[in-house]
Amino acid sequence: MARVDLQHISKSYPGVKALDDVDLAVESGEFFTLLGPSGCGKTTLLRTVAGFNMHDAGRILVDGARIDHVPAHRRNIGMVYQDYAIFPHMSVADNVGFGLAMRGLPRRAIAERVARALDLVQLGGLAGRMPHELSGGQQQRVALARAMVINPQILLMDEPLSNLDAKLRVELRDEIRDLQRSLGITTIYVTHDQEEALVISDRICVMHQGRVHQVGTPNDVYTRPATIFVASFIGAMNVVPEVPVGPGGEIGLGQGGQRVAALAGRARVALAIRPEDVVLQTGADRALVLAGAVDKATYAGREAFYRIGCDGGLRVLANAYRPDVGGMESAGARVAVAFPVSRLHFFDPADGKRIEAAP
Amino acid sequence: MIARLRLDFWAGVLLFALAIVAGLLVWPLSTILAASFIDNRTGAATLGNYARVLFQPFFQTALVNSMIVGFGGMLGAMVLGIPLAVFTARYVIRGREFLATLAVLALVSPPFIGAYAWIMMLGRNGFVRLALEDFGVPVPPIYGLFGILLVFSLKFYPFVFLLTASSLRTINPAIEEAAEGLGAGVWRRFFKVTLPLVFPAVSAGALLTFVLSIADFGTPAIVGGRVRVLATTAYNLFTSEMTGNPGLASATSMVLIVVSMIVVALQRWAVGRRNVAGTLVRKPVPKRLGLPASIVAHLLCYGIVLVSCMPSLVVIYTSFRRTSGPVFQPGFGFDSYERILREIPHVIGNSAAYSLTAVALIVVTGTLIGYILARRESPLAGALDGALLVPYIVPGVVLGLAFVVTFNVKPLELTGTATIIVLMLFIRRLPYAVRSSAAILKQIRGSIEEAAISLGAAPGRAFLRITLPLMVPGVVAGALMSFITAINELSSSLILYVGRTMTMPVRIYLSVLDGEFGTAAALSTILLVASGLAVYAVFWVSGRNENAFV
Repeated sequence: MARVDLQHISKSYPGVKALDDVDLAVESGEFFTLLGPSGCGKTTLLRTVAGFNMHDAGRILVDGARIDHVPAHRRNIGMVYQDYAIFPHMSVADNVGFGLAMRGLPRRAIAERVARALDLVQLGGLAGRMPHELSGGQQQRVALARAMVINPQILLMDEPLSNLDAKLRVELRDEIRDLQRSLGITTIYVTHDQEEALVISDRICVMHQGRVHQVGTPNDVYTRPATIFVASFIGAMNVVPEVPVGPGGEIGLGQGGQRVAALAGRARVALAIRPEDVVLQTGADRALVLAGAVDKATYAGREAFYRIGCDGGLRVLANAYRPDVGGMESAGARVAVAFPVSRLHFFDPADGKRIEAAP
Repeated sequence: MIARLRLDFWAGVLLFALAIVAGLLVWPLSTILAASFIDNRTGAATLGNYARVLFQPFFQTALVNSMIVGFGGMLGAMVLGIPLAVFTARYVIRGREFLATLAVLALVSPPFIGAYAWIMMLGRNGFVRLALEDFGVPVPPIYGLFGILLVFSLKFYPFVFLLTASSLRTINPAIEEAAEGLGAGVWRRFFKVTLPLVFPAVSAGALLTFVLSIADFGTPAIVGGRVRVLATTAYNLFTSEMTGNPGLASATSMVLIVVSMIVVALQRWAVGRRNVAGTLVRKPVPKRLGLPASIVAHLLCYGIVLVSCMPSLVVIYTSFRRTSGPVFQPGFGFDSYERILREIPHVIGNSAAYSLTAVALIVVTGTLIGYILARRESPLAGALDGALLVPYIVPGVVLGLAFVVTFNVKPLELTGTATIIVLMLFIRRLPYAVRSSAAILKQIRGSIEEAAISLGAAPGRAFLRITLPLMVPGVVAGALMSFITAINELSSSLILYVGRTMTMPVRIYLSVLDGEFGTAAALSTILLVASGLAVYAVFWVSGRNENAFV
């Protein structure tokens, strides 16, 4: 259990700013996820915490003490890798016991703790096996046990589920979460899978091109994205990059000329709305309404997915729930598309930052 | 501050490696480069040596002959190696592994043994030639270019064979089926699709053959008769008492290096334009041939391989013939072995001691340098990587000359010592060990070592406990390979030896020149057995992978 502070961390590689003034605090016992597309700096940041990268500027504190210059092997940090990184020439028990052996524990104590750790990851009977006799999921459980058995102050995981098949991924995801919660280990988790991040995390840090775009709970990040990048990276989102705004904040899109006070004084705004918030009827109150025709209709049982070509050329994705109750539109049908103003996200088109529209 | 210390350890290794390269490659080679511009009589700077090497008929002939044996040996190796590869990789040939093993054995036996065995068979008094003459089939003795080409083709075809066969086995058969489906017949398919796909492997084998052919000293010296090539010319210019001319020898050496470099560059350019990364979905299954075709294929494959093993068999057979002095007597006995044990036991001891010492140095240094090249990229490491290509293209004769010229003045007066021979073996074979250890490391994921570090192992300990054990099989295979080439080294040792430091290959060469075939055969047999045991050990540690040898 430890609190981690990353203060103004920067790191450059020739021609690339890998980390650009990253400033984060991870609370003790928290499950904290670094989320972003590949190359966003999340793995670099994780490896900096682990001690395998040296940052150019900034400070790393664990429980208030600087660890920047503590070598990796003295940091007491558990690490789980995407490719498992199991020692192929050692048995499961020797893999899990490695960290304890490095700490000079007596054999018997090691054996006890290894057995307990293996039980924890449900590999109780496999202590004597060699890694090549294990499946990918089992290898990753070994890696998990190996990282946890040393009672690390912090647990770092670098896309631990990426190499597993979909079903196993969900299963192990829930197990990792349960285990982390019951042991209360401060965990920093790297992934590019936004759904995984939403499900598993206490808080998510969305990164792009070496910068932090937003830190917040999964709900925050999903419902109040701080930048256009976050809005379009997490979940599906219709984005209209530039919409003219009238002097009083009138949105120049669709019929109805809806006015949003917070936009007053701006010439343009970027507008976003999630497909599930788009309404296919005109009845909604306070909405931007556009006319269009269904391009493509996909029926998926519980819901239906539409792609609608609006008359101005705008393409809109819309989801409808229980299409069997409300009726399914077919391709070519003329429809009205409504964006309820309360569900709209506004961003400054210049810097991509969120504009709060007062409720 | 252990992170800093760790950096310092590998930085130290890097500096040490650069010092080795500077001391054992850059310095000697720049010494002969400088010498090549010095006039032998006046000591003044001159381009005269190069003018003579390039324009005097005497040297022009040597250059042309070198080209002939280089390209001829290459073509011969391809003519033998490619069909062998195609048949064994694509068709059902019984005893495929046996053939590959024999090819490897032919490969590891030193070329000069092949040369003199062929003389015993087809030389002036060769028993095969005389037997054929008794049947009324006149065969000219093989001295000259034909002999050299015969030896090189039969000696170096395994490079082409093994590389091409392994490449053929990784071509997705669907690609060839697609070509067939698009209407390409058997031959068009082979030349338009298959051959271009294996081109990098074929050309790598051909390149090796070319470079080794023009660098080889023993074969043209033994079987060449009056045919002079650059390697023998440089040697004679340097060693002969009467006409010795270091400046001219150096210029000849530089020409030899430049030729090798040009051919290496050409091959890289040709391969670089084709990116043929394979996607192997399923492995090609060898096809069955009809009975007549199958018989022809078997005869061809076994013919090539058995003929290439003939020299070794002849040598072993000869070593057990009874002798009286240098003259063979009817019957069999251990006379030749008794003679070498009585007269020159130190030669065997020298060979063993020098090779083993060099291998020990190579293993330690090569493993550490391989680690730097695989795991710690930096401009200096890149420079080191480039410098370590040099021994691949510098012939043993040339590096031998360079060592003599460089290390014959105090405080580094090493000529005549065992040290200079060990250092030579070390630097000549180090790049192979570096390359193999770097290749092994690239297959061991870096995250494994990092995981050990994050679990509390200091970097040095993580390397020793995790990475090193995983490297051992590859390193052992590399060490055995180094041993095989070190114990068989002739050309540079011939320049560096004195009576005390004579090695088996040198003694074999001298015995052949003196017509003492019994002694030569017994020593050669010892070399062949040592090499064969090492081959067996490589198979054992590498899980039977013929490609460990190329």
